[in-house]
Amino acid sequence: MDRLRARIGVDAPPTEAVVEAGHVKRFVEAIGDPNPRWAKEVPPTFLVALAPASLHLAEAEEYGQGWLNGGNRFEYFAPVEIGDRITATGRVADVYEKPGSSGNLLFIIFETDYVNQDSQLVARLRGTAIRR
Amino acid sequence: MSVQVGEELADLVKHPTTRQLVQYAGAQGDFYEIHYDQEFARGVGLPGVILHGLLKAAFLGELVTGWLGDRGTLTKFEVSYRGIDRPGSPYRCRGRVVKVDGTQVELEVWGEDSEGRRTTAGSASVEMNG
Repeated sequence: MDRLRARIGVDAPPTEAVVEAGHVKRFVEAIGDPNPRWAKEVPPTFLVALAPASLHLAEAEEYGQGWLNGGNRFEYFAPVEIGDRITATGRVADVYEKPGSSGNLLFIIFETDYVNQDSQLVARLRGTAIRR
Repeated sequence: MSVQVGEELADLVKHPTTRQLVQYAGAQGDFYEIHYDQEFARGVGLPGVILHGLLKAAFLGELVTGWLGDRGTLTKFEVSYRGIDRPGSPYRCRGRVVKVDGTQVELEVWGEDSEGRRTTAGSASVEMNG
């Protein structure tokens, strides 16, 4: 727990990725969304495919038997289109324990900022990963 | 065309398959085995492979952006995964308008399993074009 809490607020190394037409096409096919606008822009959850939405932290894997995704929150500040170059910077925003129906659960809150080639913050994602 | 509080979005019913989970795992880059390896999933106490939370979020995203069209912009989208959903079973996306304040519109969105249980709950904020 102390080792996990020590990671709070520390940025992970940023990852950079170009929003590629082929990747968006495969993502859109996978989610089965026929909206033609995704030929140019990206659907609301696409950014999670550019950088890991959460990290399976080794320190947390000593806890419980598996991971669950508790929730995701996206905030959008500017559109993301095919060809954009996005830098994603993730961090652990919080770690805490909560009693569950079969023992304690470990909650890890991840936050990722997505910045485009014009240094504009385009989106922020917050995710809750749970060890159970 | 103005948006009114209480307006319901047309239901969107998705029919996820194990094949789709594999396709999604590849497209997102999430290869956690609970989404395609039955034995692994049972080994961690699940009844079998389950849908990615973010795939359910994508379904709800389709519901909202399909309804919105080019009338406005999605500014916030939040989902909370309350229960598991399994491939081979329909997943119904639903939503309604809960608040309208000028150009700001708030929606409640949720996903139901085949028995009508709300396994995903969420909200979306939209800025309508002026």
